[in-house]
Amino acid sequence: MWALSKRALLYLFTCIIPGLIFAQQCPWNVTGSVKDMSTGIPITNAHVYVKEASLKDVTDSLGLFTIGAVCEGNYHLAISHVGCESQELFLSISGDTSILIFLDHHGQLLNEVAILDQWENPSTEESHSLHSDHMAKYSNKNLATMLEDISGVRTLKNGSGIAKPVVHGLYGNRLTILNNGIAQGGQQWGADHSPEIDPLLANKITVIKGVSALEYMGNSLGSVVLVEPKRIGKEPHLHGEGRYFFESNGLGNGLHLALQQSHKSFAWQAVGTLKKSGDKRTADYFLKNTGNEEAHLALQVEKSWSKKWLSRLYFSSFNANFGVLRGSHIGNLTDLKSALERDVPFYTKDKFSYAIGAPYQKVNHHLLKLQTNYSQGDKESLDISYAQQINLRKEFDVRRSGRSDMPAMSLRQVSSFLEAKYRRALAHHWSFKSGVQLNRVDNSNLPETGILPLIPNYLTYEYGAFGMATKSMKRTTIQIGGRYDFEQRKVAAISNGVPRRVIRHEKEYQAMSAMGGMRHEFNKAWNMSYNLGFATRNPEVNELYSNGLHQGVSGIEEGDPELNKEVSLKHTWSLKGDIKGKLFFEGLFYYQNIDDYIFINPQDEVRLTIRGAFPVFKYEQTDARLMGFDVTATYQASEQMYFKGSYSYLDGYDRKHQMPLVYMPSNHLKGSFNYQIPSLGKFHNVEFQVNSRYVFEQTNLLPSQDFVAPPAGYHLLGLKISGERQLRKLRLVSFIRMENLGNVAYRDYLNRQRYFADDLGFNLLAGFNLKF
Amino acid sequence: MKQINALLALSVLSLVFFSSCKKDDPKEPVIPNEEEVITTLNLTLTPVGGGTPVEFKFKDLDGDGGNPPVISVGKLDTNTQYTGSIALFNELESPADTITLEVEEEADEHQFFFESTANGLTVAYDDADDNGKPLGIATTITTQGASTGTLTITLRHEPIKDAAGVSMGDITNAGGETDIEVTFDVGIE
Repeated sequence: MWALSKRALLYLFTCIIPGLIFAQQCPWNVTGSVKDMSTGIPITNAHVYVKEASLKDVTDSLGLFTIGAVCEGNYHLAISHVGCESQELFLSISGDTSILIFLDHHGQLLNEVAILDQWENPSTEESHSLHSDHMAKYSNKNLATMLEDISGVRTLKNGSGIAKPVVHGLYGNRLTILNNGIAQGGQQWGADHSPEIDPLLANKITVIKGVSALEYMGNSLGSVVLVEPKRIGKEPHLHGEGRYFFESNGLGNGLHLALQQSHKSFAWQAVGTLKKSGDKRTADYFLKNTGNEEAHLALQVEKSWSKKWLSRLYFSSFNANFGVLRGSHIGNLTDLKSALERDVPFYTKDKFSYAIGAPYQKVNHHLLKLQTNYSQGDKESLDISYAQQINLRKEFDVRRSGRSDMPAMSLRQVSSFLEAKYRRALAHHWSFKSGVQLNRVDNSNLPETGILPLIPNYLTYEYGAFGMATKSMKRTTIQIGGRYDFEQRKVAAISNGVPRRVIRHEKEYQAMSAMGGMRHEFNKAWNMSYNLGFATRNPEVNELYSNGLHQGVSGIEEGDPELNKEVSLKHTWSLKGDIKGKLFFEGLFYYQNIDDYIFINPQDEVRLTIRGAFPVFKYEQTDARLMGFDVTATYQASEQMYFKGSYSYLDGYDRKHQMPLVYMPSNHLKGSFNYQIPSLGKFHNVEFQVNSRYVFEQTNLLPSQDFVAPPAGYHLLGLKISGERQLRKLRLVSFIRMENLGNVAYRDYLNRQRYFADDLGFNLLAGFNLKF
Repeated sequence: MKQINALLALSVLSLVFFSSCKKDDPKEPVIPNEEEVITTLNLTLTPVGGGTPVEFKFKDLDGDGGNPPVISVGKLDTNTQYTGSIALFNELESPADTITLEVEEEADEHQFFFESTANGLTVAYDDADDNGKPLGIATTITTQGASTGTLTITLRHEPIKDAAGVSMGDITNAGGETDIEVTFDVGIE
């Protein structure tokens, strides 16, 4: 969006027609035209509003508008259209002014080619983004559930508040999440650990459905989630926005505030979010102890030293308490069996409560990033970043003799990251990018639990270097690159046998990755891309050394210190385009082989303990194959109405044992009907949406691979109405949403709570966003 | 000039970063004081009319992993009434910690359950919490004719004591977490 407004401003200044100045008279006309950014087609029914003067107009069939009788002075212009992200411009009027404005209109129909930042060339890899106007209407959601709106993205949940994104069947250690360019630290290995990022601090969240994440240090076997903070606008005045939402399920409330101001060479921004909700409800009963409390903050300061040098300081803090369903806390396999036999979980109460007791998770994550950038136009740029992350995770269980107040797990991770990146435009449409990275991770258990730690203390050093070259021609883009990583890890674990003693391990890993890709535009309407990537992932500490009882699933999990790294080869092929601007199509097919895929395999052994007998699971390696596709089609029936449908298919297969892979998302089908009304009473850009989601039963699984058969498929209906209003200087966006309209009782295969309880019932949400 | 300062600051930062690399080791793990662990369950059955007590023992000294537990059982007489008493210990601690005290203290949050497949073996609660609900540290165990089978002792934490059958010793609706579940072979001769 930044690039866009820059362009718009450029037009603005070149198109100003100088005129004579009459003090305190209002003779000036502001005229202009609004066009679609990608097609150049004029946009009808776009609202143009001069805030300070309370003057407005709506574009005609040629996309033109005229606002007369504007006084000399400084103005803010708001331009909006149904389904587009609204734009704001700052204008100094001292004569008749004519402007050309581009809006990104078809973003809703077709996802754009990723332009990751202003220096970046378009990538050959496929990516999908959510923008702030979308987030404003879904502000109750967490990072993972928000991403579910992107086709091919699902979530692995542990109840309602804890969720991890799953892209093309991979999550946790196999999916890198970047918060403001820094790979998210913390305990991402845990299937019940949400990424510690507040999505509302972001301006844009992008999922790159890629083959190899060369540019980023981390464990990605292909896909990457990029969370980009709000950019500070070039506005000299104090601006900001406030959001509020209420949701009926869980009686949740949320408040979000963002402020920003830009001076000549210095700019700042502060963003904060508060959320609280209580016990959620399924179709038939409350889920005891499923409330959340969250408080997040981000501060950003920008200072430009000269035209070429710019420094940024970014600090964000994520703080949350997540309640875990009381009835899902079990002691042994007998407890699990009796929970499985029940329709309604133990401890279910008739009354709603905000109280959060054990079991719950208390998570804090702080990030400090210092970045200095040198850039010489589009020619070359150098970026040096330093980042420090502190992740604290305490998990509380139901314990004897008041020990519930003592965490059962308490981990602190401190990671420090240093990076230098360099980009340069070369001759013959080539551009080159390379970088070096260093990361240090210090993970330790805090001795306050009175329990043997699940994962050991460790210290890791990672060194990496990458190089990428891109050739962007008129219709074809080619990309090629490679990466090398070296990792050194020292581990200090406590023995399982008595007397307890410290056992030390030391390991070194080397890894190479490479990718190549091509995107080709056949004509204005159709393009395709093909990418091939080779990537590796080192075994994570939990896979190597975990040893003990995993409470949530009632099994003894044993790591294997001898595990090798995983090796992945992934192909993606995408095709997208439109037929006469009416029917839009987008398809992405992928095929991925992962050799030495690490998974947790149930053993024939049953281990006797004083709490009963437990099945034993061991981390083992096999050869996996993931294959699937995401297709989306949109039909623009009229200027005001469109239909959208998408289908995602995934097949996970264990090539060595010739059986399915566990925890793979089942196939799902989504559809929506959208109707847009340019003006309705005092509201404009009114949007009405009915959406439907069908999640198929996961039939690609053997009965021996789970305690219980995967739940049946389910169908959920939703409704959304939103509208905008300009109240002098304030811009109001309000919405009403309904989720699970039919109050359907269902369970989802990817929700670990499905053994114990149904998923969420009906939910009514209402909220607004005020921009000033 | 300022940009040079910024670069300088960054290089100092990176120097700090690198110099911290030298001879770096992970934090020394603190071996926890595992005071919550139950390693040992003893069930002592004393004949009501007097006589030699019979002992049933389950001992797993290293917790969940490591070596398998050691189980020892005694023989019961036919048509006899015994006073049963359970003792729980944490023998990871030295001297051993008596966990039975913790259970007694939180009697309202705990209950033992006894399930027997041996013919005629019955277990009756001899103690109660403050609400008059059974606890099960003290019991009366009665045998009839000769038989063999198993006796499973379960300790539930936070059971729903009001649920149907729970105060009669039926575990079906009890809920809660299992802190102990041990099974002894029983011979009545």
